[in-house]
Amino acid sequence: MEIRSGDDAVFRQVYKQVFPLVMRVAYHVTFNADIAEDICQDAFIRFYDKDMTFPSLDDAKFWLIRVVKNLAINHVKRKANEVAKMEKIGRTPTDNPFGDGARELLLNESKVAVRRAVAQLPEIYRTAIVLREYADLDYQQIAKVLKISESNVKVRVHRARKELEVILGREDVNVP
Amino acid sequence: MCLDDQILNTYIDGELAQPWKSRVENHLSTCSGCRMRLNSLKNISDDIKNSVLSDEEIRPRQERVLAMLEKNCLGKKKKFSLFRRQLRFSVGQLAGAAAAFVIVFAGAIAFTSGRADQIIPAPETETDIDIANIMPVRAVDSPQRGLDTFTLDEILKNLDARGYDVDVKLKSIKPVEFTETEVLTN
Ligand SMILES: [Zn+2]
Repeated sequence: MEIRSGDDAVFRQVYKQVFPLVMRVAYHVTFNADIAEDICQDAFIRFYDKDMTFPSLDDAKFWLIRVVKNLAINHVKRKANEVAKMEKIGRTPTDNPFGDGARELLLNESKVAVRRAVAQLPEIYRTAIVLREYADLDYQQIAKVLKISESNVKVRVHRARKELEVILGREDVNVP
Repeated sequence: MCLDDQILNTYIDGELAQPWKSRVENHLSTCSGCRMRLNSLKNISDDIKNSVLSDEEIRPRQERVLAMLEKNCLGKKKKFSLFRRQLRFSVGQLAGAAAAFVIVFAGAIAFTSGRADQIIPAPETETDIDIANIMPVRAVDSPQRGLDTFTLDEILKNLDARGYDVDVKLKSIKPVEFTETEVLTN
């Protein structure tokens, strides 16, 4: 089915189907639900305003995932710059640089710990593992979104899990 | 020879092609060490999956953004501003500076005290913006909420809902590197 992004009815349908997915991508990259919401809003406004035609829903979905991923990474980089500036002028930011959208909800601590650990990963591993585990994309789809090779995806997903194992303190129990 | 983590991770993701997949499975059936390692890696993968942002966490945000889009974008083909996100960053920066003041220029609008729904009067009442409109971000709680008890975000949401062009300047008493941010709509 051809997708015309500026068509109101089509837009609503795409929004309904894709919002949860891109919200997860934005949240798990930024670890801040408010920022993630704003990023998704921006992405969908662009999607609508550009009035593009996609051959299929999947193509529209991948466009949105890529835009959201880029906006999320931009935010993370800008935030890191701000924190560095604050530190340079002798101020420490009062808010948690990662934010925490899970605050108001009763989540078990280990879930939050895993979310936080994912947000601490280097950007290239973080995006790969977020797309793999939270967006449930396969290696080929991740390669398409990140514009890297599939074997590169394989390495990044693997490294991400290895780093998470260390951050979460699991590595010592697993010597074969 | 035993299986390394890279191969096991690829296997977990269902991305291992034949004939390697069969070979890996053959090895796993005979080697308890590799089976244990596979389980550990699987557990990590499952723990990540289980920490996913839940439907309950997503739903209110999905509805809120849609309501905003319905109101400002759909049907009207009207250009929509992106200032909300940019502004939130700025407010976040400001929160770190104790003595910070915010000036909001929203066309020519009189600011008066009032309830949330009357926070900004209708555009017909035109009054010049002057020093009286400089307000502290955080003010003491009062039983009747005056304008200065609203957060910047609330004020801007209200302005946005009314379709104003908003020009925001952020200033702090002690100069910091990012004392001023201008954000324009449209
Ligand atoms: Zn083995």
